[in-house]
Amino acid sequence: MHDVLPPALTQTQLDTALQQMRVVVGKDWVFSSEEDLSRYRDPWSPADDREFKARAAVAPDRIEHVQQILRIANAHRVPLWTISTGRNLAYGGPAPRLAGSVILDLKRMNRILEVNEKFGYALVEPGVTYSDLYRHIKERGYKLWIDCAAPAWGSVIGNTLDHGVGYTPYGDHFGMSCGMEVALADGDLVRTGMGALPGSSSWQLFKWGFGPYVDGLFTQSNMGVVTKMGIWLMPEPAGCVPFLITFQKEEDLHLITELVRPLKLSMVIPNGAVTTYATWEAAAHCTRAKYYRGQGPMPDSALRRMVEDLGIGMWNFYGAVYGPPAITRIQLQVVKDTLLQIPGSRFYTEDDRPADSALRYRAQLMRGIPNMAEFAIVNWYGGGGHINFSPISPPTGEDAVKQFHMIRARMHEYGQDYLGEFAIGWRDMHHLACIAFTRDNEAERRKAAELFGVMVRDAAAAGYGEYRTHLAFMDQIANTFDWNNRSLWRLHERIKDAVDPNGILSPGKMGIWPKSLRGDAR
Amino acid sequence: MRPPTLLIAICWVNAFAAEPTGAEVFEQFCSACHASGPHHPGTQLLAATRGNSRSVLTDRTDLTAEFVRSVVRNGLRTMPPFRPTELSNAQIDAVAKYLSKQ
Repeated sequence: MHDVLPPALTQTQLDTALQQMRVVVGKDWVFSSEEDLSRYRDPWSPADDREFKARAAVAPDRIEHVQQILRIANAHRVPLWTISTGRNLAYGGPAPRLAGSVILDLKRMNRILEVNEKFGYALVEPGVTYSDLYRHIKERGYKLWIDCAAPAWGSVIGNTLDHGVGYTPYGDHFGMSCGMEVALADGDLVRTGMGALPGSSSWQLFKWGFGPYVDGLFTQSNMGVVTKMGIWLMPEPAGCVPFLITFQKEEDLHLITELVRPLKLSMVIPNGAVTTYATWEAAAHCTRAKYYRGQGPMPDSALRRMVEDLGIGMWNFYGAVYGPPAITRIQLQVVKDTLLQIPGSRFYTEDDRPADSALRYRAQLMRGIPNMAEFAIVNWYGGGGHINFSPISPPTGEDAVKQFHMIRARMHEYGQDYLGEFAIGWRDMHHLACIAFTRDNEAERRKAAELFGVMVRDAAAAGYGEYRTHLAFMDQIANTFDWNNRSLWRLHERIKDAVDPNGILSPGKMGIWPKSLRGDAR
Repeated sequence: MRPPTLLIAICWVNAFAAEPTGAEVFEQFCSACHASGPHHPGTQLLAATRGNSRSVLTDRTDLTAEFVRSVVRNGLRTMPPFRPTELSNAQIDAVAKYLSKQ
């Protein structure tokens, strides 16, 4: 790999900045060798590593060092790319959008500053993972549950800032955040919400504070470096009953979605509920090769044999109810009365399927128990690489079916199995479709990236926008949000120019570029 | 104000706190993907690519410490690298020793 410098940055400027950073954090925590930097890559990425290669990395362990690093970077115009744990794999992981950036690696800032059982919250630093927080709570016997993303190694802050979701009633991670501390590009430090009132005891209790609510500006963006965040934690309920309902026909998707919607709106099913397609479900049990080794999408005959053999549905709906048995019994009866109207549907709890590894890991997630089992999806083909396509739609049967057919057709056209699931939130539906490829195979990688681009265009044309993406597609997807001549992105740019005039913070994140790098300047 | 003797005792305990063992490092950082049984994607992938007999890392007798160190620090295909900010050299040495059974 060759050395890369970002535009307009000289080697001298960079060397001077790095030397000053070594004085701040110690030479052991500034990384610049090829060997060091090879670890700041996303091994599941659809892109060549050289496209998103870091030039160096610096790893502070305290806020004062973060501030000093920001001032140094600002003085020398060094672009920084901030990561929490850098485990957002297949979205870029620890790699920067702008090649040649210096990674600001916050993994060493991993303190759990407070867990408050009385009010149900934690205050954490960026390097705290879901596993860390879960272990901390268990070791101390707090009667609190976390809501974790599917892979346990993710950062609580990082996942929240990327608009990630989970599977308990606290599944809207940003919705459940409360209060941030943010370091700005010039090193200034801000506490949002009630944290701006010295001595406030409500920083993690009341989101809105006084005046404009700015927390959102620091999510999926590059306006500041979040160094602390409050997250609400659910009091341990008196009971929890996760369940699975299997459905036998593809056509059932319409009615499943229509029947689930009122149960979600009324919070009979209060958690992040999911409807998985047969292939996504099967991946938790086995790899594709067990049922089909040929090229192209798995034929219907193999699909049906797999479904029958594994005892799963063409669609599989996961939800949970929470509370004492007297309440959950009634909630479950409402769920059954509603969803079991669909012919061929069957209802299961964990006791009914003790050997079912999919139900087991989903039940853990619905109880806020972190695990890594969802990564079985990466093993479906075994190539390691994948891109997640995840357009947002209303939770209607019509939209679910339209998206399913649209996306499956494209995936089949490109020789892929349709690997998908629908995650139904309160009033939204995320359709996750996983495009898998062999990372070492450049042709497969390029084809997967091409397929993704086509699906983004298809979805946008139908009014469905993406909610999150890999570095390589941030510009393309930002450009789909172009109502009124890109007015929202022009607003992002105006704010960016005001709070980070030298453009040192994560240039290009979500298609937001500093002035010096906009358009043809890149 | 804490009595000085208590403060000294706390410092003494911290100064002599044991480094985690290889088994502890494995449990905390590796087992979610590499423990035996279903539910663990690393074990599942090794079973598919290397066969069942080589799928459970703690059962293997062919792993060298050098190989484990290299794979954990640098990654290998689907397995991502673990940076020094995530796992120290000491932690990787401990788990390498544990898995290579040296």
